[in-house]
Amino acid sequence: MNDIELINTRVEVVVIYRANGEILKQTWPLKMKYQGRIVNFTELGLRHPTIQGKRMIHVFDMSDGTDDYRLEFDAEHLTWALKAISSGQK
Amino acid sequence: MKYYGLNSEPANIMHIDLNSCFATIEQQAHPSLRGQAVGITNRLVPHCCLITCSYEAKALGVRVGMRYEEARLLAPKLIMLESDPAKYHFVYTKLIHIMQSYSPKVKMKSIDEGVIDFHGVRPSIESRDMEDIGLEIKQRIRAEIGSWMKCNIGIAPNQFLAKLAAGLHKPDGMDRIDANNLIEVLQTLKLTDLPGIAEHYEARLNANQIYTPLQFLEADKHLLHQRVFRSISGEYWYDRLRGYEVDDVKTKKGIVGRQFVLDGQTNNQAKLLCRMQYLCQTTGLKLRNLSLDARGVAVWCDFANGEHFFKRQIHKVSFYTDKDIFERVIYLFNQRPQQLSVVRIGLFCYNLSPSKRNQLALLESFQKSENLTLAIDEVNQRHGNFTIIYAAAAEGKLAIKQKVPFGSTEYFDLLLRS
Repeated sequence: MNDIELINTRVEVVVIYRANGEILKQTWPLKMKYQGRIVNFTELGLRHPTIQGKRMIHVFDMSDGTDDYRLEFDAEHLTWALKAISSGQK
Repeated sequence: MKYYGLNSEPANIMHIDLNSCFATIEQQAHPSLRGQAVGITNRLVPHCCLITCSYEAKALGVRVGMRYEEARLLAPKLIMLESDPAKYHFVYTKLIHIMQSYSPKVKMKSIDEGVIDFHGVRPSIESRDMEDIGLEIKQRIRAEIGSWMKCNIGIAPNQFLAKLAAGLHKPDGMDRIDANNLIEVLQTLKLTDLPGIAEHYEARLNANQIYTPLQFLEADKHLLHQRVFRSISGEYWYDRLRGYEVDDVKTKKGIVGRQFVLDGQTNNQAKLLCRMQYLCQTTGLKLRNLSLDARGVAVWCDFANGEHFFKRQIHKVSFYTDKDIFERVIYLFNQRPQQLSVVRIGLFCYNLSPSKRNQLALLESFQKSENLTLAIDEVNQRHGNFTIIYAAAAEGKLAIKQKVPFGSTEYFDLLLRS
């Protein structure tokens, strides 16, 4: 039905935290390293929080202009995980 | 010129409706889906049904409630996604936040639509043009939620006409209906375009020679009461059509319950009981959250052969604990024909009254049961719903995911804490 690849692996992410400016661009994952490849993000689709027990998880739905990536930031353990990749359908 | 007795008050009610809410939110989250035909379902299985779809899918004839196979015939490239309640809840809270920044009188009708009442707002808002505020809300939704998000806005003197106005030009429209243009707008519509009028009421109106919204407006109040709606509802319609507010009433909670479409039809007693136990726990949680006790319980199920089972019972003593609900539910549920395979189960508690839980029970056993329930609720509130769960419901918890509510969002926040 849809090309979604479930990943669920810890990744390295570079994030910029802006003091001012557009609300949706204040916290922005710039890029991540996955399987030796650098993925540069061009768009933040949606950021939303979820609660798992006591932990706050921030979900960042990002795009590199072709594929969509679901990244999760665990606010308790301060780790980033790549949860899924959706290949862009053109 | 005919006198209709329209409400000439300024239009101070704004209805906001997110266009194809879940599908649009998924397209917002996943840029690769924008411009594509997208369908959302609660459970991604081969025979699933669409609970919503994107405008691109609607343009191809796909409709809510269609099965996936049927929708694929109309839109071969339809992309199906499973619903993500946490995402929709976030957008819902952002929408409320934006709406409440204009007036404290905000009522959410469902997860994707709500009403702002601008009566008595602070002067800095009151002095502004409603259309100006509407445009600002659209801009804020794009700026604070996402650039793909669109909404329809309706402005009118009452909630009914505001909702009607919001539906005039979709997607991304904004319209006003008031005493100045109500007649003109009604002339362009059919009866079933009016919110709350479907085929059943249309037939009743037709039976009384009312075929158009304008004829509906012109109909005598007495006729609507005595002949068409056969209740005071007819008088409410008379006033509602004229722009007077009749829908701002708080109704008393009648029932609290839960239902579930089974993951595969079965007559396996253990499987059915664990799912029913889980439904009892969520129902108990809702009851206690509302500070209500119940005296009645009803159980129903649909069988694979098309038959239906329903039983209800009133008890002398009120109850509210999960254990009490489950015991009463199972007593009724076990009276069904057990050889038949079940496809859907449900229960509800009724005969509700304000909780007496603050009063000390006379019997120690009742007090122990209450203390246990309070302790479980406290742990679950701290660590997430159903952290502590009855062993029999454990499998049910895995099978039954919290889905997006249709209509009232009363329990959405409560049940989403996991």
